[in-house]
Amino acid sequence: MRKDFNQLNYYEMLDLQPNAVPYEIRHAYNAAMQLYQPGSLVSYSFFSEKERREILALIEKAYQTLINDQLRKEYDDELVRRGEIDAKEETAPEVKKPVSVFHISRGPTARTVFVSSDALKDRISQSQVIKDILAQSVLSGQDLKQIRTELGLTIEQIAEETKIRVNHIQSIEEGQAQNLPPAVFLKGFVKSYLKCLGLESVDELSARYMNTVSCLK
Amino acid sequence: MAHVWPIGGGKGGSGKSFITSSLGRLSAELGKKTLIIDLDLGAANLHTLVGVPEPKKGFSDFIRKKIPLLQDTVVETPSENLYLISGAHDNFDVANLPYEQKLKTLRAIAKLDFDRILLDLGAGTSFNTLDFFLISQNGIFITTPEPTSVENVYRLIRSIYFRRIRYCFNITDFKEMETEADRQFGEGSYNKPDCLMKVIARTDPEKYLQLKNEFSAFRFKLIINQVRKHDNISLGLQMSRMVEKHLGLNMEFLGNVAYDDHVHDAICQQVSFMERYPYTKTASDLRELGKHIVESVGKQLTLHYM
Ligand SMILES: Nc1ncnc2c1ncn2[C@@H]1O[C@H](COP(=O)(O)OP(=O)(O)OP(=O)(O)O)[C@@H](O)[C@H]1O
Ligand SMILES: [Mg+2]
Repeated sequence: MRKDFNQLNYYEMLDLQPNAVPYEIRHAYNAAMQLYQPGSLVSYSFFSEKERREILALIEKAYQTLINDQLRKEYDDELVRRGEIDAKEETAPEVKKPVSVFHISRGPTARTVFVSSDALKDRISQSQVIKDILAQSVLSGQDLKQIRTELGLTIEQIAEETKIRVNHIQSIEEGQAQNLPPAVFLKGFVKSYLKCLGLESVDELSARYMNTVSCLK
Repeated sequence: MAHVWPIGGGKGGSGKSFITSSLGRLSAELGKKTLIIDLDLGAANLHTLVGVPEPKKGFSDFIRKKIPLLQDTVVETPSENLYLISGAHDNFDVANLPYEQKLKTLRAIAKLDFDRILLDLGAGTSFNTLDFFLISQNGIFITTPEPTSVENVYRLIRSIYFRRIRYCFNITDFKEMETEADRQFGEGSYNKPDCLMKVIARTDPEKYLQLKNEFSAFRFKLIINQVRKHDNISLGLQMSRMVEKHLGLNMEFLGNVAYDDHVHDAICQQVSFMERYPYTKTASDLRELGKHIVESVGKQLTLHYM
């Protein structure tokens, strides 16, 4: 018997080695999202909606932590203290070796296919959670994130589709004024983000978001 | 002692009997003295799949005490090394096998003198089906890549898990634990084996440890059948990962078996699919599975708790 899912550390959760590089982390995150997103053949009959949401939230947390150098370092220190992983050895920077002509080790070229906007609209119209969020008069970064995970979309996918940098999307979802992208860009970013989620009346929603975050200041 | 493989899961028509007969033939070809037992009593048809259209005797003779020893109900098949206990002529469901009869059957199976014994258990999660699964660590689950079939496999695995836990407690204690699980993990948790285990861990650490050890010894296996061109070929791996991560049970994905219309043709002509169409992808998939399974050994379980 293995450990409970919510007792796994972030590496175990995403099936990663403690020395995984960001590329692998992103890959594992995307794989996990595919497994657990609503409507996935593998997991749809395995969990209740509530369980699924909890798992998605954990995976999201794991990813956000591991993909951020600073947070990951703190988390690793914590794991070392708990004796779950060994302290990293300081390795000397690797000397570049000649690469074989035939061995071009690039990441996979296959781009994850973005969900069609019709499919998204379907999911939105069928999700009570999203309806509830949209019925409120406020719209926080947390809300956006919840809509996104509910739709089974990853930050990576949004970034790829909108061409907004990952860290900007993260800050938008965190909604903390000091980390937000410069005001001149923010509104545009939020709009394309909302559009990318397949939401309607983007102008009104982005105004709602701007209001909500400016209240936090 | 024989290695017993209970085969079940998926919904009706997912290919359990077809795969049981194919694996039986392969195992026999690889030199193992192999017996297949048709326990899908309501809808027995294994005999037709292995070329014994009219078996002279079968499992029902043992149940009705016409034949006292289970080993005497075995019939030969046209294939060398391959034997059958037929379920034909039975008009009752294995679900209705009375407790005493079931125990007697389980014990008799464990004593049969064969290298490999495959049990075709049919669809469904009746208690008796679950008990047949619990006599071996090597349960094989078969599903197609359809959500309904996948769902049934998950349900079957949970039910087996649950059934084993149930055997550890008397009815009063068990009821109490169910209530406790509901209280701690929310309404409906009583039928989630993983929640029950959490309760047991706290209330009865010794039993918990015992169960935990037993569950880690299970080596469940998963086969995805009728895989078509556009199906997700990683489904099997992902499903086994799901079962391991969230139920803590070992489940090994054995492989995909391609869909092929020739399977239907072979069954209609009543010939061995693998002999008639050996060069199809489906046949080579089956041979891969066969090799894998014939080599794998798992312990047969003692039935002292039933
Ligand atoms: N790999 C395959 N490709 C194409 N057809 C298949 C394949 N496997 C099984 N079938 C078809 O599915 C039908 C049902 O198979 P089978 O009788 O083995 O299912 P089963 O799971 O035993 O059903 P039941 O639960 O009713 O006993 C077969 O008659 C065959 O035509
Ligand atoms: Mg059958």
